[in-house]
Parts: sequence; structure tokens; C-alpha cells
Amino acid sequence: MTMKKRRSFPDWLRSRDGQKVLVMTAFMIVPLVLLFVFTYLPFGQMFGFSFYNMKYIGARKFVGLKNYAKVFSRKDCFGALKLSLYYMLGSVVQLVIALYLATILSFKVRGGNLFKGFMFFPFLINGIAIGFIFKFFYTRGFVFDTVLQWCGFQLDNLPYWLRDQKINNFSLVGTSVWRYFGQNMVLFIGAIMSVDAELYEAATLDGANRFQQFKYIIMPSIKTIITLNVILSITGSLSAFEPPYVITDGANGTGTYFVVMHEIAHTQQKVGLASAMAIVLLIIILIVTGLQKLFFKYIFKSGEDEDPRAAIKREKQLARISGRRGGAAV
Amino acid sequence: MKAKKVMALMLSATMLLGLTACGNTAEAPAPAADTAAEDTADDTAEAAADTTEAATEEADAAQAAGDLSYTSLNLEDYTDTAATIKFIHHKTDRAEDGTMDAMVAEFNKTFPNITVEMEAVTDYAEDALLRLSTGDWGDIMFIPAIDKNQLETYFMPLDTLDNLSAQLNFANQWEYNGLSYGIPYMANAQGLLYNKRIFNEAGITELPTTPTDFLADLQLVKDNTDAIPLYTNYAAGWTMGAWDAYIGCVSNGDNTYMNQKLVHTAEPFADPGDDTGAYNVYRILYDACAQGLIEDDYTTTDWESCKGMMNRGEVATMVLGSWAYAQMCEAGDTPEDVGYMPFPITVGGTQYVLAGGDYCYGINANASDENKLASLIFVKWMTEKSDWCFNEGGYPVVKGGKTPDMYAAFDGCSVLSDEPALAGEEDFLNEMNAESELSINAGGNDKVQRIVEAGATGSEEFADIMDDWNSAWQDAQDELGIDVLY
Repeated sequence: MTMKKRRSFPDWLRSRDGQKVLVMTAFMIVPLVLLFVFTYLPFGQMFGFSFYNMKYIGARKFVGLKNYAKVFSRKDCFGALKLSLYYMLGSVVQLVIALYLATILSFKVRGGNLFKGFMFFPFLINGIAIGFIFKFFYTRGFVFDTVLQWCGFQLDNLPYWLRDQKINNFSLVGTSVWRYFGQNMVLFIGAIMSVDAELYEAATLDGANRFQQFKYIIMPSIKTIITLNVILSITGSLSAFEPPYVITDGANGTGTYFVVMHEIAHTQQKVGLASAMAIVLLIIILIVTGLQKLFFKYIFKSGEDEDPRAAIKREKQLARISGRRGGAAV
Repeated sequence: MKAKKVMALMLSATMLLGLTACGNTAEAPAPAADTAAEDTADDTAEAAADTTEAATEEADAAQAAGDLSYTSLNLEDYTDTAATIKFIHHKTDRAEDGTMDAMVAEFNKTFPNITVEMEAVTDYAEDALLRLSTGDWGDIMFIPAIDKNQLETYFMPLDTLDNLSAQLNFANQWEYNGLSYGIPYMANAQGLLYNKRIFNEAGITELPTTPTDFLADLQLVKDNTDAIPLYTNYAAGWTMGAWDAYIGCVSNGDNTYMNQKLVHTAEPFADPGDDTGAYNVYRILYDACAQGLIEDDYTTTDWESCKGMMNRGEVATMVLGSWAYAQMCEAGDTPEDVGYMPFPITVGGTQYVLAGGDYCYGINANASDENKLASLIFVKWMTEKSDWCFNEGGYPVVKGGKTPDMYAAFDGCSVLSDEPALAGEEDFLNEMNAESELSINAGGNDKVQRIVEAGATGSEEFADIMDDWNSAWQDAQDELGIDVLY
């Protein structure tokens, strides 16, 4: 019969448990406060804005769900989402390139670190600077055209990279791929390095070639990272903003959803409609992320993914059956 | 061993910091706005601290500042006013080349105790609106596109309109209830830039006065010279919105059209049939694109380099307000080649020129009395004594001020300035612009970009685009309940 000693709060604070909690709270409070003030609070306000007809300054008029109805009925809002398909295609290409290069560079390659450095470098440059670089890159007769002319193309046969509406989106997607494939590659290299080296030896002894090693050893081991990167890339392509905004100002058929939203909020001053567009985009991203998770769960199915509760249920059932049989046998 | 551990910890901390940036493939514009608001809050907090010190010393002057008005302020009486004021403006080019600092230094010779802090903002039109919503953005700014009924909330009335109009031109731009809230820093005449040497080489002897003549002249430039006949500056955006300035009295000779009749017009973009009206202003652009009289790749035009191109004669014409004239002249070695001509539309035998104020000085309604007085002194000095308007090649704001030479070609044209909106209808144009999303003279760049794309690629007929705009305009009139009178 031990009596539990009731400690007073100041005593508890001074104790080891109390100190642990205190330190945790103290460290977490600053980032949490910043997160709240700069992300959740403005987001909450924006959600409120989406129910009004308003400009940044001036009176607001409550209109309920009218803004959401307008998002779906206007041609330019959802039309801009179609451009996201270009960016999604680009992100698939980006991931394939990143995975391929990561696999090569994870093993000993002469000058491997140098290559890794060069390929990661674009990610470090500011998005606006990249926009300006590529604006001049794609200008007629400038960098890209000159390099292609060295390869033997004639200037007259080269298309207008930004003017031609059939390919200008591909040009912008190319910029995006150039910028981000290095980051993806570095993440993949990190993940691939966590694979046990002995597995490769064993596989080579069994006669597996490089591609088979990749498919059966590397891919399953890094599937979490691949899933994560795909989710990030798809989300990024739905909300692509910097390349079209800086390079073409969203003109000439390159205006993605975000660019249209920015235009509506700041030039047309329809802040309520733009907020509604942002919320709709968030819902779309949530749906797409959910679909992706299901998709990957199906693709990467393995024994360890089984729901632990289902496993416990099954064990209990088996124990009951064997107990009954054992009891009956006796 | 311990040093190694510390190094490792610091390194991982820095890397973690860097890692927080990745995974964010899109950055919403909102965080940028937050940081801008933070910066201005810090600056004005400092400015406020300075002024409280100065205020205790200059209590007398502060009392006298209670009843401020532009016309009653005598600059000589206030030479020992002390304050620190903040001036936000969009002239990044003048901030860079030191002109702004030079003017403030000149100002400080007469008013040594007024410290003027200046900030040049690049994306002014949008940024100014965002800063306005914070309330403590500074003391003087150029008034952005707000509704007239918001004026008294944000800006201090400078004087009654009648008093100001006796001394200044174009003081009615920000007029509300008989009070004027803004004085333009310079005035522009709307015409277009052209290169005199190229026009001579192409064999153009007389400046064109109708759209058809103008297009014919552009064709001459293309045939006889290497210059680009019309440089659209498509990629910059705002240079396209500049075409909206000509759909008022320049294209129809009526100076009540822009602010009074346009909102009540059923089909402002219909073809009146006699080579006038908004239809023909944009038709010039469409036809120039369709006939290949513009630059090769309009998607990659560059504003900064086009100034040099204009000066050197690689570009023959550009459609911009007179404020651009000074910049073109400075961009190269042959400023005498740069000319300014009236817009090539003739209405009833006369060419019209729209003269109007540019951005207007506005004083923060929420500033301290001390700062309001100092700001008014600064605004008055800049308007009357600084010669900034003349140096920028602007039409004089002060009545009877000197007119620069570049306006020589405007002799014989009728110079008009737009009448303000009728009482009670001041916000109609703003509302119509937002509702119809045409944003005439309010940043509606993409509608004009659409014309360039359609003309160059042939994807749309010009008449269809104009019909589209007409129906957007009518829908907005229905939505806002504005009567159709014309």
C-alpha cells in the first residue's frame, strides 16, 4: 500500500520530468508561434476573405459561396489547370532523370562529387534570377539558338521558343526541370546510400545485371522517398508560378493557375475570388495527394505494410481456433 | 574531440536551415507582402521616434500646422521646421542616378532641419496598395489606384479644388467633395515616340495624322530601313496597358468621355466608321502585328534595352506617354534623334492631345501634425521650386510654368485634359474596370497583349475581340446597375 506522493507544480517543474517538458515546450514555442502567425493565421483570414466580394482596402460585401461558383464557371481558372498537366509531365521526366543520375552517382564514379555539385547548383539559385536567365536563354538568336546552331541546326528552322504557343509551355517546363532535378537527385542519392552494400554483392553473385539490381534492390528500399518526391512534384506542378510569371508574365497562353490568381487578386482587385481560387486549389491538391498515396500503397505492396491491427486480430483468431482444437483434442 | 562535435553540430544546424527551403516548389506572393509590411513598420517606427524628439522642441510650429492648406502655406515662414518624413515613390531610375538625392540636398539648403527619407519601390502599383492597407507606411507617397471614397481615410486634403486650380493644372485627379487630395509631380501629354532620323531615311516627310497613314509610314520604315517599325514591348506588360490612354479625348475629341461618358456607353469598342474611337486605336496595333511591322519575337522584348534601341534608331516608333521621352534621350548618344508626335488620329480635322497629371503626391492622413506640415512643405517645394517636372520633360503643373521643347510637334493640336467624374459617380470607372476585368488605364495589360497575339498569329479576328470587350463592358454595367445612356 504505497501512497503516491502528490508533488506541487513548482516541485514537478524542477524534477527531471518537469524539466524535460519545459525544455521541449521552450524549444517548440518559437517555431510554433511563427508557424501560426505567418501560415495558419493568414490562411484562416484568407478562407474568410473567400466569402466576400472585396478589394484589399475598402468595404466588403458578403456573397457566400458565389465566389466558388465563379471559380468553376469561369473559363480562365480551370483552363489554367490544364497547363499543370505540362508541368506534371515535366516532373515525371525530372524524377526519371534524377533517379537515373542518382543511381549512377551512388557508386564510385570518377569526379562523382564534382558532377553532384554541378547538378545540385541550379537549385540554389533564386527563382527570379533563373527566370531572367532563361528569358535571355530563349530569346531568338541568343544562347539556346546559338548552341543549337553549333550542333548544326539552321536558325531559320528553329522555332520561336516562347512565342510559338505549341511549345512555349514546354520551354517553361524545361526551366523548371533544370532547376529541380538536382535537388531530387541529391535526395535519392542519400536514400540509395542507405541500402546495404552486401545486397549488391549477393545479387551480382546470383547473376543480376545493373538494371535488375535497380529494380529489385534499390527501388523497394527507397520507395518512401520516391513517393514523397512524386507527391511534392505533383503539388509543385499544380502550383507552378515562378517560371511563367518571370519569363512570360503569364501571357501568350502560359498563365498557370497561380499566375491567373495573382492577376485577379492584384490587377482586377477581386481578392475574394482569388482567395476562393486558392482554397479550391488546396482541395484539389489534397484529393490528388490522397489518390497518390493509395496508388503507391498498391504499387509497393509488401508484407510489412499490413495493418498491425488486422495482424493482431488474425493472431487472436488463430489462437482461439487452436485453443478450441487443442481443448477438443484433449 | 569536443571542437569536432561543436563543428558538426553547427554544420548540421546550418544544413537544416537550408533544408527548410526545399520541398516548396511554389512560393505564394503573400509572404513577400508580409515582409514588406514589416520593413515599412520598422522604418516608420524609427521615423516616429525622431519626430517625437523634434516635436517637443518645435511645439509652436506644430500648433500652427493645425490648419494646413497648400495655397495658404508660405514657404519662407517655415524654414526652421524640423521633422523626419518618409517619401515612397516609383522612380527607381531617378533614385539610382542620384537625381532624387540631389533634389533633397537642394531642399535641405532652405529647410535644413527636415530630413527626407526616400524609398524607391519597383512594383509600385501593387506594392503601394498593400502598404496603404497597413496605415503607417510613411508620410508622402504617390497615390495608387484607390476608390475616390477611400481618399479621406488614407490621405490628407491638400486644399480645396478651386484654390488649387487657380495656381496649378491637373489638380483635379484626386478630387472628392470639393477637396483635392493629390498634386501631380509632372504632367504628361499622350502622343507617341518616334526616331526622326529613321523617319527621314524612310522617306516620310510629314508626320502621319490618321491610322491608315501611320500604318503606311510603318511599312515605308520596314521597306527602306533596318529599323523595327513599331516596338510593342509586349513582355513588359505595362507598356501594353499604355495604349488605354488614347481611347479618351485623343480618339474622339471629347474630354468628358473618359470619366463621365465611358461608364455609360453601351459599346465603347464599336467601330464608329470614321477612323476614330477606341476601335481604331487598337486597330493600329492589330494591323501592325498582322502586317509584320513589329519586332520578330515579341515575347522576349526588353524594356531597358529598348531605350537604347530607340535612341540609336533600331526602333522607329513606340507608343508611350511623354514621360518616356527623357529616358529615351538619356539612353544613348543621339538624343536629338528622339522625337515626340501626337497620336495619329484626326477627329473632325483636328488632332487632339491628352494632357494629364502623372502620379500625384499624397500625404498620409494618419501622420503626426508635425510630419503633415513638413510633408506639405516638401510637396510645395517640389512642385514649385525643384524643376523636376521640367527636367523630366513633363507638361508644366504650375500654371504658367515653362514647357519643354519636345512638344514642338504639338503646335496646331488641341490640348485637352479630362474632366473629372460627375459627383456621385466617381468610383464607377474603377468598379467597371474591376467587374469587367478590362482595367482600362488601370493595369489592363493582358487585354492588349491578347490583341498582339491575335494579330501576330491570326488566331482571332480584331472585330471579335472588340465584340468580346463590348459584351464584358455591358455585363459589368448590368452587374453594377449602371445606366446605359450613350
